[in-house]
Amino acid sequence: MVQESRIRVLIAKPGLDGHERGAHVVAYGLRDEGFEVIYTGLRQTPEQIVSAAVQEDVDVVGLSILSGAHLSLTRKVMEGLKAKGANDILVTVGGIIPEEDREALERMGVGGVFTSGSKIKDIAAHIRTRLGEMCPHEEENRGLFTEGTQATAGTGHEGQ
Amino acid sequence: MKDSRKGIEKAAEKWEAEILKPRVKRFNLDRSPTSFHTPLSCDTTHFLDKVGFPGQFPFTAGNNPFDFWKAHAKTAALFGFRPDWGGAGGVGKYGGFGTPADYRDYLLRMQSMGRKGGPNIAFDLVTQCGYDSDSPYAEGEVGRVGVAVSSLRDFSIIYEAYTGELDIDKVPSNFTINAPAAVIIAMYACLAGKRGIPLTKLRGTPQNDILKEFIARGTHIFPPRPSMRLFRDTCVFCRSHMPSLNINSIGGYHIREAGATRTQDLAFSMANGIAYVEAGLEGGLAVDEFAPAFTFNAFGGSMEIYHEIAFQRAARRMWAHIIRDRFGAKDPRSMTIRQPITAHIGCSSTTLQRPLNNLARAVIGGMGAGMSGGIPGAFPPFDEPLGLGHSQEAVQLQLDATRIMIYEAKVADVCDPWAGSYFMESLTDETEEQALAELEKIGNMGGAVAAIENGYMPRAVAKSAYERQKKIESQEEFVVGVNCFVDAHEIDVSINRGVEATYDPELKRTAEERQKASLAELKRARNGKGVVASLKNLKDQARDQDKNLMPAICECVESDATLQEICDVLREVFGEAQPVKL
Repeated sequence: MVQESRIRVLIAKPGLDGHERGAHVVAYGLRDEGFEVIYTGLRQTPEQIVSAAVQEDVDVVGLSILSGAHLSLTRKVMEGLKAKGANDILVTVGGIIPEEDREALERMGVGGVFTSGSKIKDIAAHIRTRLGEMCPHEEENRGLFTEGTQATAGTGHEGQ
Repeated sequence: MKDSRKGIEKAAEKWEAEILKPRVKRFNLDRSPTSFHTPLSCDTTHFLDKVGFPGQFPFTAGNNPFDFWKAHAKTAALFGFRPDWGGAGGVGKYGGFGTPADYRDYLLRMQSMGRKGGPNIAFDLVTQCGYDSDSPYAEGEVGRVGVAVSSLRDFSIIYEAYTGELDIDKVPSNFTINAPAAVIIAMYACLAGKRGIPLTKLRGTPQNDILKEFIARGTHIFPPRPSMRLFRDTCVFCRSHMPSLNINSIGGYHIREAGATRTQDLAFSMANGIAYVEAGLEGGLAVDEFAPAFTFNAFGGSMEIYHEIAFQRAARRMWAHIIRDRFGAKDPRSMTIRQPITAHIGCSSTTLQRPLNNLARAVIGGMGAGMSGGIPGAFPPFDEPLGLGHSQEAVQLQLDATRIMIYEAKVADVCDPWAGSYFMESLTDETEEQALAELEKIGNMGGAVAAIENGYMPRAVAKSAYERQKKIESQEEFVVGVNCFVDAHEIDVSINRGVEATYDPELKRTAEERQKASLAELKRARNGKGVVASLKNLKDQARDQDKNLMPAICECVESDATLQEICDVLREVFGEAQPVKL
């Protein structure tokens, strides 16, 4: 049952881009928001990300890309997930994403695009809303869970 | 009458009681939102020890009474000199894209417009991570953030733009390359060999700062220790064969950009610098034989201008003491932090929201630079956070802002204008003390390499980045246009694009395909036996820690072995760096 398990998020760095700040901040932030966060570390191929997402049975994959290669890398991850029948996984993209590419990413099926200046709270809210939309009957349970974790986050607890 | 310390103390108490506290109470505050500093705040009686004259130990007041650019500032204005166009023995603007031929043609076009600086090469991520353009890892990244270089032939094609008056014995080069720096240095040496130019004539700077890649920038290939062996080998090779080439460009600002606090930035950069000095010593050199050829990229980077000025002063003093006291250097040139940029705001201070505001931000950084021994340079161009590559308009505005600070505001007409300020001296002392404490902590772990291996430095930076984010989200820190003053009645000012794009988008789009074809052709045409033999020799040499690998790498490069083939051999012997877990 969903209420027994926390929302699982895979934060992934596809390609060769080494800028980790955004990935680190989002990983720590979503952890404090009560999500269970797995961070892949640098330089993952789309195939590695897809197989980690399936193996870890995550609800969300957050791709962080600042190298300009976001279109081709995201497309591969989306295709990979589809091929594994994992299209129920919500995919979000963060990084330096020119405004004109936002639509292309959304057309690929990306749920949300978060660029510089985004708030963790907004990313967390986006994830909760989208997962709720995907499985409407589970929304209530998630809502209950969410309140509890926010209280925990308020204590200033930080990821290990 | 002269002040006595007691007299000032008494006056301070009186001021607090009669002026400050009532005012704080009147505005219903917990404490004063400002600070004020007096002779009690710091020790100003040790001027010679702690500040000194510009160009003299401990270099707090600057590396020189004035730099090259300042000596020629008037001439530059009279003749309209643009530093980003190079000339006067410098490199041009940092850049690179597409295939080597694309970048060569771009450079030739720039030269035809009078931009005659040496190449200041940005390599694509594929090259930076030790892969060739035909690697599965390369897909989508070839020629994107820089130019693709897989072989000596690729490297030589770029340099077809530099012949005659602009040959490599006349213009310097900059290589933003770290993990495979040894391979690129070898290519530079081999190119000179083919052109019959003595290696002693080669000038330039490879970044060659692998340690900060593990902490911040992320283009490492091998684990830290073998990476430092490669650093040692390049250091010794450069000193014995290419004495006019700088050895490295140590970066603090990448660490700051990745999220480090000011203290972490300063301490980690110094720890890295110490590790590089130790590597040179391990290679059998005396400190004064190589430390003068160390350069620094930039330290620091934030909007807090006072802190950034103090940071530069503290950094110069710390490095001077480390090199003299710890390593026994005698040559003052060993003790200075030679860097093109001093204080600056750091690219991460720029905002995607209302981006023209970034020009105002960059000017503040430039003021800090001009007041801390550097060119008052507005950096970066305002469109930095919008995507890859600065527009011509943004570069023009950046340059004009710099000129206004130099010529109209005369910001750099005084050396260390803050020297003797009670506030600035105390802030400099505090910055140094905190960094020294953190440096000692790293020393106790076994130095920079150990503090990378145990994950301490990378994790500390990641945590600091998150702390900063929390402060912004909770509005403990304000960023204009991001978490305050964002109402609908604020206006997002934009400029109209009127100038052509820096790089041809069509060439960028097709670069990968063309580069792969060119590499396939090279692999067909080259002498396979020579390649295999040179790679085998490299492998044998790599197994012996005492061997300098540069001659073997030069041999591989000359036989047309590719960058990835060379790195793959070293991957087999050295292993690969592992990602840091949070």
